Amino acid sequence: MILFKELTKKIRKYFMVLEIKDLKVKSGEKEILKGMNLKINSGETHALLGPNASGKSTLVQVLAGNPRYEIAGGSILFNGLDITKLPTEERINLGLAIAWQNPPTIKGVKLSKLLDKISKKKIEPEELGANPGVLDRSVNLNFSGGEKKISELLQVISLNPKLVIFDEIDSGLDINKLEKVSKIIKKELIDKNVSVLVITHSGEILNFLKPEIINVLVDGKIICEENNYKRVLKTIKKYGYEKCRECELHADGP
Amino acid sequence: MDMKNAENANYTQMDHEVNITKIKGMEILPSNMAIKKYEWIREYFKGEPKEGYFIWIKEQINLPITTCMNIASESVSQNLQNLIIIEKNLKINLQGSCNSLKKDLCGRHISSGKIILKENAVLEYNHIHAWGNEDIVDTNYEFILENGSKLNYDYKINSTPKKIKLNTEVICLENSTANIKIIGNCENTDLEINDNIILKGKDSSGILKLRLVGKENAKILSHSRITTEAECKGHLDCQGLPIHKTAELILIPELVCRDNQSQITHEASIGKISEEELNYLKSRGLNEQEAIDLIVNGFLED
Repeated sequence: MILFKELTKKIRKYFMVLEIKDLKVKSGEKEILKGMNLKINSGETHALLGPNASGKSTLVQVLAGNPRYEIAGGSILFNGLDITKLPTEERINLGLAIAWQNPPTIKGVKLSKLLDKISKKKIEPEELGANPGVLDRSVNLNFSGGEKKISELLQVISLNPKLVIFDEIDSGLDINKLEKVSKIIKKELIDKNVSVLVITHSGEILNFLKPEIINVLVDGKIICEENNYKRVLKTIKKYGYEKCRECELHADGP
Repeated sequence: MDMKNAENANYTQMDHEVNITKIKGMEILPSNMAIKKYEWIREYFKGEPKEGYFIWIKEQINLPITTCMNIASESVSQNLQNLIIIEKNLKINLQGSCNSLKKDLCGRHISSGKIILKENAVLEYNHIHAWGNEDIVDTNYEFILENGSKLNYDYKINSTPKKIKLNTEVICLENSTANIKIIGNCENTDLEINDNIILKGKDSSGILKLRLVGKENAKILSHSRITTEAECKGHLDCQGLPIHKTAELILIPELVCRDNQSQITHEASIGKISEEELNYLKSRGLNEQEAIDLIVNGFLED
Protein backbone atom coordinates (compact mmCIF):
# COMPACT_ATOMS: atom_id res chain seq x y z
CA MET A 1 0.00 0.00 0.00
CA ILE A 2 2.80 2.39 0.98
CA LEU A 3 4.62 1.49 -2.21
CA PHE A 4 1.51 2.24 -4.23
CA LYS A 5 1.13 5.65 -2.57
CA GLU A 6 4.79 6.47 -3.28
CA LEU A 7 4.32 5.40 -6.87
CA THR A 8 1.19 7.52 -7.28
CA LYS A 9 3.09 10.45 -5.86
CA LYS A 10 5.89 9.97 -8.37
CA ILE A 11 3.46 9.65 -11.29
CA ARG A 12 1.66 12.81 -10.20
CA LYS A 13 4.84 14.81 -10.78
CA TYR A 14 4.37 14.30 -14.48
CA PHE A 15 0.95 15.93 -14.42
CA MET A 16 1.40 19.52 -13.51
CA VAL A 17 -1.92 21.33 -12.97
CA LEU A 18 -0.57 24.80 -12.37
CA GLU A 19 2.75 26.31 -13.27
CA ILE A 20 3.52 29.94 -12.58
CA LYS A 21 6.72 31.03 -14.29
CA ASP A 22 8.59 34.21 -13.38
CA LEU A 23 5.32 36.10 -12.92
CA LYS A 24 5.61 39.87 -12.60
CA VAL A 25 2.48 41.90 -11.86
CA LYS A 26 2.08 45.64 -11.53
CA SER A 27 -0.60 47.82 -10.02
CA GLY A 28 -0.03 51.31 -11.37
CA GLU A 29 3.69 51.95 -11.09
CA LYS A 30 4.19 49.54 -8.23
CA GLU A 31 5.44 46.02 -8.86
CA ILE A 32 3.60 43.61 -6.57
CA LEU A 33 4.66 40.19 -7.81
CA LYS A 34 8.34 40.28 -8.68
CA GLY A 35 9.10 37.13 -10.60
CA MET A 36 7.09 34.50 -8.77
CA ASN A 37 7.40 30.77 -9.46
CA LEU A 38 5.07 28.01 -8.30
CA LYS A 39 4.31 24.48 -9.46
CA ILE A 40 1.32 22.42 -8.33
CA ASN A 41 0.98 18.84 -9.47
CA SER A 42 -2.18 16.85 -9.90
CA GLY A 43 -3.71 15.89 -6.56
CA GLU A 44 -1.27 17.90 -4.47
CA THR A 45 -2.28 20.13 -1.58
CA HIS A 46 -0.21 23.27 -1.30
CA ALA A 47 -0.25 26.04 1.24
CA LEU A 48 0.80 29.61 0.58
CA LEU A 49 1.66 31.76 3.52
CA GLY A 50 2.72 35.35 3.56
CA PRO A 51 2.53 38.53 5.60
CA ASN A 52 0.18 41.41 4.77
CA ALA A 53 0.98 43.09 1.46
CA SER A 54 3.20 40.23 0.31
CA GLY A 55 1.12 39.80 -2.87
CA LYS A 56 -1.24 36.94 -1.86
CA SER A 57 -4.46 38.71 -2.85
CA THR A 58 -2.90 40.01 -6.06
CA LEU A 59 -1.91 36.47 -6.96
CA VAL A 60 -5.50 35.24 -6.54
CA GLN A 61 -6.87 38.10 -8.66
CA VAL A 62 -4.31 37.45 -11.39
CA LEU A 63 -5.02 33.71 -11.39
CA ALA A 64 -8.72 34.56 -11.69
CA GLY A 65 -7.94 36.75 -14.70
CA ASN A 66 -9.03 40.09 -13.25
CA PRO A 67 -8.21 42.56 -16.06
CA ARG A 68 -7.44 45.33 -13.59
CA TYR A 69 -4.05 43.78 -12.88
CA GLU A 70 -1.29 44.31 -15.40
CA ILE A 71 0.93 41.33 -16.10
CA ALA A 72 4.39 42.74 -16.75
CA GLY A 73 6.09 39.42 -17.41
CA GLY A 74 6.06 35.67 -17.03
CA SER A 75 3.29 33.16 -17.65
CA ILE A 76 0.62 30.99 -16.04
CA LEU A 77 0.12 27.46 -17.36
CA PHE A 78 -2.91 25.36 -16.47
CA ASN A 79 -2.68 21.71 -17.44
CA GLY A 80 0.08 22.76 -19.81
CA LEU A 81 -2.04 25.42 -21.51
CA ASP A 82 -0.94 29.05 -21.33
CA ILE A 83 -3.86 30.85 -19.67
CA THR A 84 -2.04 34.12 -18.96
CA LYS A 85 -4.29 36.07 -21.32
CA LEU A 86 -7.40 33.90 -21.10
CA PRO A 87 -10.68 35.49 -19.87
CA THR A 88 -11.86 34.47 -16.40
CA GLU A 89 -14.77 32.25 -17.45
CA GLU A 90 -12.59 30.22 -19.83
CA ARG A 91 -10.09 29.54 -17.04
CA ILE A 92 -12.93 28.34 -14.83
CA ASN A 93 -14.30 26.13 -17.57
CA LEU A 94 -10.85 24.50 -17.86
CA GLY A 95 -11.12 23.41 -14.22
CA LEU A 96 -9.76 26.26 -12.10
CA ALA A 97 -11.96 27.32 -9.16
CA ILE A 98 -11.56 30.03 -6.55
CA ALA A 99 -13.20 30.34 -3.16
CA TRP A 100 -13.10 34.03 -2.33
CA GLN A 101 -12.33 35.60 1.02
CA ASN A 102 -14.87 38.41 0.68
CA PRO A 103 -17.45 37.44 -1.94
CA PRO A 104 -19.94 40.16 -2.95
CA THR A 105 -23.70 40.12 -2.36
CA ILE A 106 -25.86 39.36 -5.42
CA LYS A 107 -29.27 40.73 -4.47
CA GLY A 108 -32.29 38.80 -5.65
CA VAL A 109 -30.26 35.80 -6.84
CA LYS A 110 -30.86 32.86 -4.55
CA LEU A 111 -27.91 30.63 -3.79
CA SER A 112 -29.90 27.65 -5.13
CA LYS A 113 -30.42 29.48 -8.45
CA LEU A 114 -26.74 30.34 -8.75
CA LEU A 115 -25.80 26.73 -8.04
CA ASP A 116 -28.27 25.53 -10.70
CA LYS A 117 -26.73 27.93 -13.18
CA ILE A 118 -23.06 27.09 -12.59
CA SER A 119 -23.06 23.43 -11.50
CA LYS A 120 -21.10 20.95 -13.54
CA LYS A 121 -21.89 18.17 -11.11
CA LYS A 122 -24.71 17.42 -8.71
CA ILE A 123 -24.08 18.22 -5.08
CA GLU A 124 -26.11 17.73 -1.90
CA PRO A 125 -25.83 21.10 -0.11
CA GLU A 126 -27.23 19.86 3.21
CA GLU A 127 -24.68 17.04 3.33
CA LEU A 128 -21.97 19.62 2.69
CA GLY A 129 -22.88 21.66 5.75
CA ALA A 130 -25.38 24.17 4.31
CA ASN A 131 -27.88 25.40 6.90
CA PRO A 132 -31.53 24.85 5.99
CA GLY A 133 -32.83 27.99 4.37
CA VAL A 134 -29.51 29.40 3.21
CA LEU A 135 -30.18 28.17 -0.34
CA ASP A 136 -33.34 30.27 -0.51
CA ARG A 137 -31.57 33.49 0.38
CA SER A 138 -29.85 35.97 -1.91
CA VAL A 139 -26.19 35.06 -2.42
CA ASN A 140 -24.18 36.39 0.55
CA LEU A 141 -26.93 38.77 1.70
CA ASN A 142 -26.77 38.80 5.51
CA PHE A 143 -24.84 35.51 5.45
CA SER A 144 -22.81 34.87 8.59
CA GLY A 145 -19.05 34.39 8.19
CA GLY A 146 -19.50 30.62 8.33
CA GLU A 147 -22.38 30.65 5.82
CA LYS A 148 -20.25 32.61 3.35
CA LYS A 149 -17.47 30.04 3.55
CA ILE A 150 -19.91 27.14 3.09
CA SER A 151 -21.51 28.96 0.15
CA GLU A 152 -18.09 29.37 -1.47
CA LEU A 153 -17.31 25.72 -0.83
CA LEU A 154 -20.60 24.55 -2.37
CA GLN A 155 -19.96 26.64 -5.45
CA VAL A 156 -16.40 25.50 -6.06
CA ILE A 157 -17.26 21.83 -5.46
CA SER A 158 -20.18 22.09 -7.89
CA LEU A 159 -17.77 23.34 -10.59
CA ASN A 160 -16.11 19.90 -10.56
CA PRO A 161 -12.66 21.52 -10.57
CA LYS A 162 -9.14 20.24 -11.12
CA LEU A 163 -7.59 22.90 -8.89
CA VAL A 164 -9.20 24.96 -6.14
CA ILE A 165 -7.62 28.07 -4.70
CA PHE A 166 -8.87 28.97 -1.24
CA ASP A 167 -8.30 32.63 -0.48
CA GLU A 168 -8.11 32.91 3.32
CA ILE A 169 -10.98 30.47 3.82
CA ASP A 170 -9.96 30.32 7.49
CA SER A 171 -10.41 34.03 8.20
CA GLY A 172 -13.12 34.78 10.72
CA LEU A 173 -13.88 31.13 11.53
CA ASP A 174 -13.75 29.72 15.04
CA ILE A 175 -11.94 26.44 15.61
CA ASN A 176 -15.09 24.28 15.30
CA LYS A 177 -16.17 25.86 12.03
CA LEU A 178 -12.58 25.67 10.77
CA GLU A 179 -12.57 21.93 11.43
CA LYS A 180 -15.97 21.52 9.73
CA VAL A 181 -14.82 23.42 6.62
CA SER A 182 -11.52 21.53 6.54
CA LYS A 183 -13.28 18.17 6.71
CA ILE A 184 -15.40 19.08 3.69
CA ILE A 185 -12.34 20.24 1.73
CA LYS A 186 -10.57 17.01 2.59
CA LYS A 187 -13.47 14.69 1.80
CA GLU A 188 -14.79 16.40 -1.33
CA LEU A 189 -11.56 17.62 -2.91
CA ILE A 190 -8.28 16.35 -1.48
CA ASP A 191 -9.44 12.73 -1.12
CA LYS A 192 -10.75 12.89 -4.68
CA ASN A 193 -7.34 13.94 -6.01
CA VAL A 194 -8.33 17.53 -6.73
CA SER A 195 -5.33 19.86 -6.37
CA VAL A 196 -5.70 22.50 -3.69
CA LEU A 197 -3.89 25.75 -2.96
CA VAL A 198 -4.71 27.13 0.47
CA ILE A 199 -3.75 30.75 0.89
CA THR A 200 -3.65 31.65 4.54
CA HIS A 201 -2.48 34.32 6.85
CA SER A 202 -2.63 32.44 10.14
CA GLY A 203 -1.83 28.89 9.08
CA GLU A 204 -4.22 27.31 11.63
CA ILE A 205 -6.14 25.46 8.90
CA LEU A 206 -2.99 23.61 7.82
CA ASN A 207 -3.16 21.45 10.94
CA PHE A 208 -6.39 20.01 9.53
CA LEU A 209 -5.46 19.87 5.84
CA LYS A 210 -1.84 18.77 6.24
CA PRO A 211 -0.49 20.14 2.95
CA GLU A 212 2.27 18.27 1.15
CA ILE A 213 4.08 21.50 0.28
CA ILE A 214 4.14 24.86 1.97
CA ASN A 215 5.24 27.99 0.12
CA VAL A 216 6.10 31.30 1.70
CA LEU A 217 5.49 34.50 -0.24
CA VAL A 218 7.35 37.58 0.91
CA ASP A 219 7.58 40.82 -1.01
CA GLY A 220 6.22 39.37 -4.26
CA LYS A 221 8.43 36.26 -4.40
CA ILE A 222 8.21 32.71 -3.11
CA ILE A 223 11.15 32.52 -0.74
CA CYS A 224 10.47 29.09 0.72
CA GLU A 225 9.11 25.81 -0.62
CA GLU A 226 9.16 23.06 1.98
CA ASN A 227 7.49 19.74 2.66
CA ASN A 228 7.33 20.05 6.42
CA TYR A 229 4.57 22.56 7.02
CA LYS A 230 4.85 22.20 10.80
CA ARG A 231 8.45 23.27 10.74
CA VAL A 232 7.71 26.34 8.62
CA LEU A 233 4.72 27.32 10.74
CA LYS A 234 6.78 26.98 13.89
CA THR A 235 9.58 29.13 12.48
CA ILE A 236 7.18 31.84 11.32
CA LYS A 237 5.36 31.81 14.64
CA LYS A 238 8.58 32.11 16.59
CA TYR A 239 10.63 34.48 14.44
CA GLY A 240 8.22 36.00 11.93
CA TYR A 241 8.49 35.96 8.14
CA GLU A 242 11.85 37.71 8.14
CA LYS A 243 13.49 34.53 9.38
CA CYS A 244 12.43 32.76 6.16
CA ARG A 245 14.71 35.05 4.20
CA GLU A 246 17.71 33.73 6.07
CA CYS A 247 16.73 30.09 5.72
CA GLU A 248 19.04 27.78 3.76
CA LEU A 249 15.96 26.37 1.94
CA HIS A 250 15.29 29.79 0.38
CA ALA A 251 13.51 28.84 -2.86
CA ASP A 252 14.01 31.64 -5.36
CA GLY A 253 17.32 32.84 -3.92
CA PRO A 254 17.97 36.27 -2.42
CA MET B 1 -49.54 29.46 -17.91
CA ASP B 2 -48.73 30.90 -21.32
CA MET B 3 -50.87 34.00 -21.17
CA LYS B 4 -50.40 34.93 -24.83
CA ASN B 5 -52.54 32.09 -26.05
CA ALA B 6 -54.66 31.61 -23.00
CA GLU B 7 -57.81 30.26 -24.60
CA ASN B 8 -58.99 29.17 -21.20
CA ALA B 9 -58.77 32.61 -19.60
CA ASN B 10 -62.00 33.80 -18.00
CA TYR B 11 -61.91 36.90 -20.18
CA THR B 12 -59.97 36.88 -23.44
CA GLN B 13 -59.92 39.72 -25.92
CA MET B 14 -58.25 39.28 -29.29
CA ASP B 15 -58.13 42.74 -30.95
CA HIS B 16 -61.87 43.51 -30.33
CA GLU B 17 -63.26 39.99 -30.22
CA VAL B 18 -64.23 38.79 -26.75
CA ASN B 19 -64.43 35.28 -25.35
CA ILE B 20 -65.75 34.64 -21.85
CA THR B 21 -65.48 31.49 -19.76
CA LYS B 22 -67.86 31.66 -16.83
CA ILE B 23 -67.26 30.04 -13.50
CA LYS B 24 -69.44 29.66 -10.44
CA GLY B 25 -69.28 32.43 -7.87
CA MET B 26 -68.37 35.16 -10.30
CA GLU B 27 -70.15 37.29 -12.84
CA ILE B 28 -68.17 38.33 -15.87
CA LEU B 29 -69.51 40.55 -18.65
CA PRO B 30 -68.25 42.96 -21.28
CA SER B 31 -68.45 46.43 -19.69
CA ASN B 32 -70.89 47.81 -22.31
CA MET B 33 -73.36 45.04 -21.45
CA ALA B 34 -72.75 45.23 -17.71
CA ILE B 35 -73.85 48.86 -17.38
CA LYS B 36 -77.16 47.98 -18.99
CA LYS B 37 -77.70 45.13 -16.55
CA TYR B 38 -76.49 46.91 -13.40
CA GLU B 39 -77.31 50.59 -13.35
CA TRP B 40 -75.40 51.05 -10.04
CA ILE B 41 -72.01 50.41 -11.64
CA ARG B 42 -72.40 53.29 -14.08
CA GLU B 43 -70.69 55.63 -11.58
CA TYR B 44 -67.44 53.66 -11.97
CA PHE B 45 -67.21 54.31 -15.70
CA LYS B 46 -66.49 57.40 -17.69
CA GLY B 47 -69.41 57.70 -20.11
CA GLU B 48 -70.33 54.67 -22.17
CA PRO B 49 -67.57 52.04 -22.14
CA LYS B 50 -66.81 50.68 -25.62
CA GLU B 51 -64.97 47.59 -24.52
CA GLY B 52 -63.39 46.00 -21.46
CA TYR B 53 -64.72 43.76 -18.71
CA PHE B 54 -66.79 43.82 -15.56
CA ILE B 55 -65.80 41.11 -13.09
CA TRP B 56 -67.86 40.76 -9.94
CA ILE B 57 -66.58 38.11 -7.57
CA LYS B 58 -69.30 37.16 -5.11
CA GLU B 59 -68.11 33.86 -3.66
CA GLN B 60 -64.79 32.31 -2.70
CA ILE B 61 -63.00 30.99 -5.82
CA ASN B 62 -59.87 29.01 -5.17
CA LEU B 63 -58.54 28.82 -8.73
CA PRO B 64 -56.82 31.87 -10.24
CA ILE B 65 -59.11 34.13 -12.25
CA THR B 66 -57.50 35.06 -15.54
CA THR B 67 -57.82 37.87 -18.05
CA CYS B 68 -55.94 38.04 -21.32
CA MET B 69 -55.82 41.03 -23.68
CA ASN B 70 -54.15 40.56 -27.02
CA ILE B 71 -53.33 42.71 -29.99
CA ALA B 72 -53.14 40.35 -32.93
CA SER B 73 -53.62 42.54 -36.03
CA GLU B 74 -51.95 45.63 -37.42
CA SER B 75 -52.93 49.13 -36.20
CA VAL B 76 -55.58 47.94 -33.77
CA SER B 77 -56.70 50.48 -31.23
CA GLN B 78 -58.15 49.04 -28.03
CA ASN B 79 -59.99 51.33 -25.65
CA LEU B 80 -60.88 49.42 -22.53
CA GLN B 81 -62.75 50.29 -19.38
CA ASN B 82 -62.58 47.58 -16.72
CA LEU B 83 -64.20 47.16 -13.33
CA ILE B 84 -63.41 44.46 -10.80
CA ILE B 85 -65.37 44.13 -7.55
CA ILE B 86 -64.36 41.63 -4.91
CA GLU B 87 -66.90 41.06 -2.18
CA LYS B 88 -66.21 41.01 1.57
CA ASN B 89 -63.85 38.43 3.14
CA LEU B 90 -62.94 36.71 -0.14
CA LYS B 91 -59.37 35.68 -0.94
CA ILE B 92 -58.82 35.92 -4.66
CA ASN B 93 -55.93 35.32 -7.04
CA LEU B 94 -56.07 37.25 -10.28
CA GLN B 95 -53.72 36.75 -13.24
CA GLY B 96 -53.85 39.37 -15.95
CA SER B 97 -51.85 39.64 -19.12
CA CYS B 98 -51.67 42.15 -21.93
CA ASN B 99 -49.74 41.24 -25.06
CA SER B 100 -48.97 41.98 -28.64
CA LEU B 101 -48.67 38.76 -30.56
CA LYS B 102 -46.11 40.23 -32.97
CA LYS B 103 -43.38 42.80 -32.53
CA ASP B 104 -44.39 45.20 -35.33
CA LEU B 105 -48.19 45.56 -35.16
CA CYS B 106 -48.21 49.28 -34.26
CA GLY B 107 -51.13 48.72 -31.90
CA ARG B 108 -52.65 51.11 -29.42
CA HIS B 109 -53.86 49.93 -26.02
CA ILE B 110 -55.71 52.45 -23.89
CA SER B 111 -57.05 51.03 -20.70
CA SER B 112 -58.59 52.39 -17.54
CA GLY B 113 -60.19 50.67 -14.64
CA LYS B 114 -61.21 50.41 -11.06
CA ILE B 115 -60.57 47.53 -8.71
CA ILE B 116 -62.58 47.53 -5.52
CA LEU B 117 -61.76 45.33 -2.57
CA LYS B 118 -64.63 45.20 -0.15
CA GLU B 119 -64.07 44.82 3.61
CA ASN B 120 -61.41 42.24 4.55
CA ALA B 121 -61.04 41.01 0.99
CA VAL B 122 -57.59 39.84 -0.09
CA LEU B 123 -56.34 40.10 -3.66
CA GLU B 124 -53.13 38.65 -5.11
CA TYR B 125 -52.86 40.26 -8.53
CA ASN B 126 -50.13 39.45 -11.07
CA HIS B 127 -50.29 41.64 -14.11
CA ILE B 128 -47.83 40.71 -16.87
CA HIS B 129 -47.17 42.73 -20.02
CA ALA B 130 -45.33 41.93 -23.24
CA TRP B 131 -45.66 44.52 -25.99
CA GLY B 132 -44.42 44.94 -29.53
CA ASN B 133 -41.72 47.47 -30.40
CA GLU B 134 -44.12 49.88 -32.14
CA ASP B 135 -47.10 49.78 -29.77
CA ILE B 136 -48.39 52.70 -27.71
CA VAL B 137 -49.85 51.96 -24.30
CA ASP B 138 -51.68 54.21 -21.86
CA THR B 139 -53.19 52.79 -18.66
CA ASN B 140 -54.99 54.39 -15.73
CA TYR B 141 -55.92 52.18 -12.79
CA GLU B 142 -57.45 52.96 -9.44
CA PHE B 143 -57.63 50.54 -6.55
CA ILE B 144 -59.94 51.13 -3.63
CA LEU B 145 -59.11 49.13 -0.54
CA GLU B 146 -61.96 49.13 1.93
CA ASN B 147 -61.47 48.53 5.65
CA GLY B 148 -59.23 45.57 6.50
CA SER B 149 -58.61 44.56 2.91
CA LYS B 150 -55.24 43.57 1.50
CA LEU B 151 -53.74 43.94 -1.96
CA ASN B 152 -50.52 42.40 -3.33
CA TYR B 153 -50.08 43.79 -6.83
CA ASP B 154 -47.18 42.78 -9.07
CA TYR B 155 -47.05 44.65 -12.34
CA LYS B 156 -44.40 43.34 -14.69
CA ILE B 157 -43.42 44.68 -18.09
CA ASN B 158 -41.32 42.01 -19.75
CA SER B 159 -41.00 43.75 -23.09
CA THR B 160 -41.68 47.41 -23.51
CA PRO B 161 -43.56 49.18 -26.33
CA LYS B 162 -42.46 52.32 -28.13
CA LYS B 163 -44.28 54.47 -25.59
CA ILE B 164 -46.00 53.56 -22.35
CA LYS B 165 -47.73 55.64 -19.72
CA LEU B 166 -48.74 53.95 -16.53
CA ASN B 167 -50.85 55.70 -13.92
CA THR B 168 -51.81 53.84 -10.76
CA GLU B 169 -53.57 55.17 -7.70
CA VAL B 170 -54.27 53.08 -4.61
CA ILE B 171 -56.59 54.38 -1.93
CA CYS B 172 -56.27 52.62 1.40
CA LEU B 173 -59.03 52.88 3.99
CA GLU B 174 -58.83 51.86 7.65
CA ASN B 175 -56.51 48.95 8.48
CA SER B 176 -55.98 48.02 4.84
CA THR B 177 -52.64 47.06 3.31
CA ALA B 178 -51.23 47.63 -0.15
CA ASN B 179 -48.01 46.04 -1.45
CA ILE B 180 -47.35 47.31 -4.93
CA LYS B 181 -44.41 46.23 -7.04
CA ILE B 182 -43.73 47.56 -10.51
CA ILE B 183 -41.06 45.87 -12.57
CA GLY B 184 -39.90 47.25 -15.89
CA ASN B 185 -37.36 45.65 -18.18
CA CYS B 186 -37.09 48.61 -20.56
CA GLU B 187 -35.54 48.74 -24.01
CA ASN B 188 -36.21 51.16 -26.91
CA THR B 189 -39.02 52.76 -25.00
CA ASP B 190 -40.34 55.89 -23.46
CA LEU B 191 -41.84 54.92 -20.12
CA GLU B 192 -43.68 57.30 -17.83
CA ILE B 193 -44.90 56.04 -14.48
CA ASN B 194 -47.13 57.94 -12.07
CA ASP B 195 -47.96 55.98 -8.91
CA ASN B 196 -49.60 57.12 -5.76
CA ILE B 197 -50.61 55.22 -2.66
CA ILE B 198 -52.96 57.34 -0.59
CA LEU B 199 -53.19 56.11 2.99
CA LYS B 200 -56.52 57.58 4.11
CA GLY B 201 -57.48 55.24 6.93
CA LYS B 202 -56.07 54.79 10.42
CA ASP B 203 -53.61 51.88 10.67
CA SER B 204 -53.45 51.45 6.93
CA SER B 205 -50.08 50.68 5.38
CA GLY B 206 -48.55 50.76 1.95
CA ILE B 207 -45.33 49.67 0.31
CA LEU B 208 -44.50 50.82 -3.20
CA LYS B 209 -41.53 49.14 -4.85
CA LEU B 210 -40.12 49.96 -8.27
CA ARG B 211 -37.45 47.99 -10.08
CA LEU B 212 -36.57 49.53 -13.41
CA VAL B 213 -33.86 48.33 -15.75
CA GLY B 214 -32.69 50.71 -18.47
CA LYS B 215 -31.41 48.92 -21.55
CA GLU B 216 -30.63 50.42 -24.97
CA ASN B 217 -32.59 53.62 -25.76
CA ALA B 218 -34.75 53.40 -22.66
CA LYS B 219 -36.12 56.66 -21.33
CA ILE B 220 -37.71 56.20 -17.94
CA LEU B 221 -39.47 58.86 -15.91
CA SER B 222 -41.12 57.81 -12.70
CA HIS B 223 -43.05 59.89 -10.17
CA SER B 224 -43.83 57.67 -7.21
CA ARG B 225 -45.69 59.07 -4.28
CA ILE B 226 -47.00 57.94 -0.92
CA THR B 227 -49.50 60.24 0.75
CA THR B 228 -50.58 59.84 4.37
CA GLU B 229 -53.84 61.31 5.65
CA ALA B 230 -54.15 59.36 8.93
CA GLU B 231 -52.07 57.55 11.53
CA CYS B 232 -50.46 55.01 9.20
CA LYS B 233 -47.21 53.77 7.72
CA GLY B 234 -45.80 53.87 4.21
CA HIS B 235 -42.57 52.92 2.51
CA LEU B 236 -41.34 53.81 -0.94
CA ASP B 237 -38.50 51.90 -2.56
CA CYS B 238 -37.35 52.99 -6.04
CA GLN B 239 -34.33 51.33 -7.63
CA GLY B 240 -33.03 51.83 -11.13
CA LEU B 241 -30.38 49.83 -12.95
CA PRO B 242 -29.02 51.38 -16.15
CA ILE B 243 -27.17 48.76 -18.15
CA HIS B 244 -26.71 50.62 -21.43
CA LYS B 245 -25.02 53.96 -22.03
CA THR B 246 -28.04 55.28 -23.97
CA ALA B 247 -30.48 54.65 -21.08
CA GLU B 248 -31.90 57.62 -19.18
CA LEU B 249 -33.58 57.09 -15.81
CA ILE B 250 -35.31 59.77 -13.80
CA LEU B 251 -36.78 58.48 -10.54
CA ILE B 252 -38.66 60.99 -8.42
CA PRO B 253 -39.84 59.64 -5.07
CA GLU B 254 -42.32 61.87 -3.26
CA LEU B 255 -43.49 61.60 0.33
CA VAL B 256 -46.54 63.63 1.25
CA CYS B 257 -47.51 63.76 4.92
CA ARG B 258 -50.90 65.16 5.98
CA ASP B 259 -51.09 63.61 9.43
CA ASN B 260 -48.48 64.15 12.11
CA GLN B 261 -49.01 60.63 13.50
CA SER B 262 -48.02 58.99 10.26
CA GLN B 263 -44.65 57.68 9.20
CA ILE B 264 -43.28 57.44 5.67
CA THR B 265 -39.84 56.22 4.71
CA HIS B 266 -38.13 55.87 1.38
CA GLU B 267 -35.04 54.53 -0.30
CA ALA B 268 -34.04 55.34 -3.83
CA SER B 269 -30.99 54.59 -5.92
CA ILE B 270 -29.81 54.35 -9.48
CA GLY B 271 -26.60 52.49 -10.01
CA LYS B 272 -24.75 50.56 -12.66
CA ILE B 273 -23.95 46.87 -12.30
CA SER B 274 -21.07 46.45 -9.91
CA GLU B 275 -17.84 45.26 -11.46
CA GLU B 276 -17.19 43.16 -8.37
CA GLU B 277 -20.45 41.24 -8.87
CA LEU B 278 -19.67 40.71 -12.57
CA ASN B 279 -16.16 39.44 -11.86
CA TYR B 280 -17.49 37.16 -9.16
CA LEU B 281 -20.00 35.52 -11.49
CA LYS B 282 -17.37 35.21 -14.21
CA SER B 283 -15.24 33.39 -11.65
CA ARG B 284 -18.05 30.85 -11.57
CA GLY B 285 -17.72 30.24 -15.29
CA LEU B 286 -20.43 32.59 -16.60
CA ASN B 287 -19.64 34.83 -19.56
CA GLU B 288 -20.35 38.58 -19.42
CA GLN B 289 -23.86 38.38 -20.89
CA GLU B 290 -24.88 35.45 -18.68
CA ALA B 291 -23.59 37.30 -15.63
CA ILE B 292 -25.46 40.51 -16.58
CA ASP B 293 -28.69 38.56 -17.20
CA LEU B 294 -28.45 36.89 -13.80
CA ILE B 295 -27.79 40.18 -12.00
CA VAL B 296 -30.65 41.93 -13.87
CA ASN B 297 -33.11 39.13 -13.09
CA GLY B 298 -32.02 39.20 -9.47
CA PHE B 299 -32.53 42.96 -9.35
CA LEU B 300 -36.03 42.66 -10.80
CA GLU B 301 -36.97 39.84 -8.43
CA ASP B 302 -35.54 41.53 -5.31
